[in-house]
Amino acid sequence: MSPREEQLRAGLSAFLTDRWGVQARVESVSRVPGGASRETWRCAVASGDARRGIIVRIDPVTSLIDTDRATEYRAMEAAYKAGIPAPEPLFLEHDLAWIGRPFSVTSEITGAQAAPDGLPDAHRESLGRRKWTLLGEIARLDPLALGLGSAMPATTVNTCALEQVDYWAGVIAADELHPSPVAEAAIRWLRRHPPPPAQRLALVHGDYRTGNFLYTPEGDIAAVLDWEMAHLGDPLEDLAWSLDPLWSWPNPGLAGRLLPHKHAIRFWERSSGLKVDLSLFHWWRVFAAVKGIGIWISSSEDFHRGSAKDPILALAGWLMTDRQQQILADYLSPHSPHRFAGELA
Amino acid sequence: MIPRGAEGVGHLAARIAVDLIPKAADAYMGADLGMIAGLLGMVAQDYDRMADVLVSDQVDMNALFEEALDPFAGGPLESRLNDALATRPVSLRISALSEHADTALRLLIDLHAAVEDAAAEGAPWAETLDRRIWTFLDAYVARRAYHSDF
Repeated sequence: MSPREEQLRAGLSAFLTDRWGVQARVESVSRVPGGASRETWRCAVASGDARRGIIVRIDPVTSLIDTDRATEYRAMEAAYKAGIPAPEPLFLEHDLAWIGRPFSVTSEITGAQAAPDGLPDAHRESLGRRKWTLLGEIARLDPLALGLGSAMPATTVNTCALEQVDYWAGVIAADELHPSPVAEAAIRWLRRHPPPPAQRLALVHGDYRTGNFLYTPEGDIAAVLDWEMAHLGDPLEDLAWSLDPLWSWPNPGLAGRLLPHKHAIRFWERSSGLKVDLSLFHWWRVFAAVKGIGIWISSSEDFHRGSAKDPILALAGWLMTDRQQQILADYLSPHSPHRFAGELA
Repeated sequence: MIPRGAEGVGHLAARIAVDLIPKAADAYMGADLGMIAGLLGMVAQDYDRMADVLVSDQVDMNALFEEALDPFAGGPLESRLNDALATRPVSLRISALSEHADTALRLLIDLHAAVEDAAAEGAPWAETLDRRIWTFLDAYVARRAYHSDF
């Protein structure tokens, strides 16, 4: 066990003993690959004769921001209580005394995995149906009734879309290492063509895509993960993000590599009770690509200037920015063959 | 004779992918090494092409700036367009070409916004210039596309 792992093991053992009021011992810790924003560790814990697995999410050194951590935890907690499959939230800890950084603890979900590679075709379709049905169920939740009004910035059905544009335009302006002429053109386009008001104000997961949920070998979804970008807004934002061509690269035919885009939208409409006007939905697809560029540029800036040198940050900065720019040009260029924009037609 | 940069970097990526990843201590280390090998493949592509990318961008942008001089004569962009056309990178090093290109790209962004404003106001020349700028942006994106197994 490395010194870092030993430090975690000892600190988390003391923390869990304190919180549970009985002796708890973390027997093993292993870092989970992936995840650019937080360190994720899988831990085996023994307490008396009982054994259980927990997942610990630790803030990176460069991002000790209370709101992100609290937002993720509160959103996941609200979704879990509302019956959405999510890891059971156990603790949110801000005190640096235990392991040197803030962290959150959830139950481990066993018998499920994150990547659908190798999934049989039949299960792929059922997983897709479940994925967009579940997203519709999230869109149906009343975030204010769930108590999320105090956990997230207030917004309205009239303003939420352009507020998100302003937010991501600000991220791009603050973090870009070189000018982004395609993203800037897209941001101007979004502002010139504002969408109609949201059909309802919803809990937007913010990063709902294949890779951010755990699935069972039978093709069911065991848990929706990574709620750190959750916010109040237009539920079409989540739908557009989930359908972004990036998640089915390089072949845009199957949304999230699971099922045709039209089918995904139909399952979402049935579940959410909302309608998708494809001509208006184009705005949200452009927005999703701008948001993507904001995330990838921010990751790249972290890698370049921050102390964290995780290669996943660089991969996002180089490869994802390249692809997301290709998507935006496909959407907006007057010369475009609409390789990606045409999949909903 | 050592291999030129792109080939050399490619050999290093292959060494990681073929020999080191199987010996990774755990899944996290293996995933990290896989990403580093993939990133080195992209660095190799950039090593080979980046001077061409930046010079080609500059040639295309200068043509757009020339075309914009007439419609924007007397306006706030005119002096910036003239300055851009009169300036050359201080060397062919990537850092110098990149710094020069960044200045030109900032001007292009402002020019594009001004052209869109003019198009919205019905200026007859604006749509043509807007389409030419998009021709450049399409090329800008295509020049930067990576070949990758990810």
